Amino acid sequence: MFMTKYDIAIEIDARGSFCPGPMMELIKAIRQSEVGEFLSLLSEDEGTRNDVPAWINKAKHELVEIIYEDGYDRYIVKKLH
Amino acid sequence: MQRIVIVGGGFSGINVANKISMKTKRKDVSIILIEPREDNVYEPFYLYWSFRKDPLKKFHIPIRKVLRKRVQHIPALATKIDTKNKSVDLSNGETIRYDYLIIATGARMAEEKVGAYEKDNVHHFYLTKATTELQEALKNFNGGTIVISPSTVPYKCPPAPMEFAFMVDRYLRKRKIRDKSTIKFLYPLLRPYPERRVAAKIQELYDKRGIEFVEFFNFERVDKENNKIVSLEGDEIDYDLLVLIPPHEGHKVIIEAGLGDREGFVPTDRFTLKVKDQDNIYAIGDCTNLPVSKSGAVSHFSAPTVAKNLLLEMEGKEPTEKYDGFTICFVVTSPRRSLLLFFSYAYPPKKFGLHNLFIYGLVKKAFKIAYFKAILRGYL
Ligand SMILES: Cc1cc2nc3c(=O)[nH]c(=O)nc-3n(C[C@H](O)[C@H](O)[C@H](O)COP(=O)(O)OP(=O)(O)OC[C@H]3O[C@@H](n4cnc5c(N)ncnc54)[C@H](O)[C@@H]3O)c2cc1C
Repeated sequence: MFMTKYDIAIEIDARGSFCPGPMMELIKAIRQSEVGEFLSLLSEDEGTRNDVPAWINKAKHELVEIIYEDGYDRYIVKKLH
Repeated sequence: MQRIVIVGGGFSGINVANKISMKTKRKDVSIILIEPREDNVYEPFYLYWSFRKDPLKKFHIPIRKVLRKRVQHIPALATKIDTKNKSVDLSNGETIRYDYLIIATGARMAEEKVGAYEKDNVHHFYLTKATTELQEALKNFNGGTIVISPSTVPYKCPPAPMEFAFMVDRYLRKRKIRDKSTIKFLYPLLRPYPERRVAAKIQELYDKRGIEFVEFFNFERVDKENNKIVSLEGDEIDYDLLVLIPPHEGHKVIIEAGLGDREGFVPTDRFTLKVKDQDNIYAIGDCTNLPVSKSGAVSHFSAPTVAKNLLLEMEGKEPTEKYDGFTICFVVTSPRRSLLLFFSYAYPPKKFGLHNLFIYGLVKKAFKIAYFKAILRGYL
């Protein structure tokens, strides 16, 4: 598990999967997690950069940070409700 | 003599059984197919059948007619898979031992999880009985709002609900009640199809036909008392007729054998198609957790890999054959037109024939002939 300043409850490694894979994996994880928990989504898909922030905004959760790693992005998401 | 047991005789099970029987000799290998049903169904036809009552025999075929003589069909349900003792218990009381097992149980339509299909205005077109009920509901529909939505992802044939919206539009126009009706297509994503260019084309066609697209709608529940469908994102949409694709999950026998993931799908190596952490077990088709669509096309293109790897293992070699995720998909936009798309693990949908070609729409319907005559039998 990635060491961050956040206490990550679920890490979703969606590398190697294309849209809608990463987003659907994130939605599944949101359904399973508790309010207040942090999730980390790993994706190398270009489409995710647009779609995941848009979905988080629509679903009123919090996109805490996007960390640009070598060859992929790490999205830190907080479940708000 | 080695024994291959295949659990599930839908498209994937029949196809792979026939393929293996063509590549092995009767004296070396016995092939047993466990499948409780006597018939195979050409499921893409449900899309058309929702609107017209063709006889069942138009898209059902007895399994004995498409299964090669060498394959023994046992008409029973597998009730237990024992991977330690390499055996399968059947509903008829028999226990069958295997040297190699192929899981091809497909996805279970978990209708009970919706808790609303008993209503006369909540339906789907993924099973025969459900589709007959939808036929009635459509016939009795005289205007109002038709809402179409998936419930869970993944589900079989990703474009099917979106195609259904096109088909319903045409049906209502034919019945001259389109102006009294609203069609809404709800989808978990920001656009009506994962790939942008395809989505743009579909959006253009939806706009032309007045079909409303509702973005980011991840199904949560049906409020059947108030005829509303509610999303995870907190939206509520009223319906007069709801067409909701049922939740998909793995079968009980898979879950109880400890062979399923959270949703009961079988964790499968995406290249070799061997079940993860298991010896002598392969999986094919909708029962797997492969990161590709749940479709007959995927089973068709992956069946040679399963057959080849199994034969390699039987010869004491490594299963080195690889499935690259290649598949195709027709997206029907009217009874005569459709878009043709290509995918693989290495690339997202590549459009092809995005011109909404006349001929492709006919292909999906007419494909039934090739399906029953050649593909199911393992010739192609
Ligand atoms: C409306 C609709 C449209 C579609 N359109 C297309 C399309 O255009 N193109 C395309 O490629 N695909 C399409 N599909 C998808 C395609 O039909 C399926 O992906 C395909 O049938 C999957 O085959 P399968 O054998 O893996 O699963 P299934 O067909 O579900 O077969 C699984 C079999 O396993 C059996 N089984 C289950 N549990 C047990 C057990 N315990 N013991 C023994 N047997 C068991 C079942 O009885 C069943 O016969 C469509 C599907 C639908 C519903």
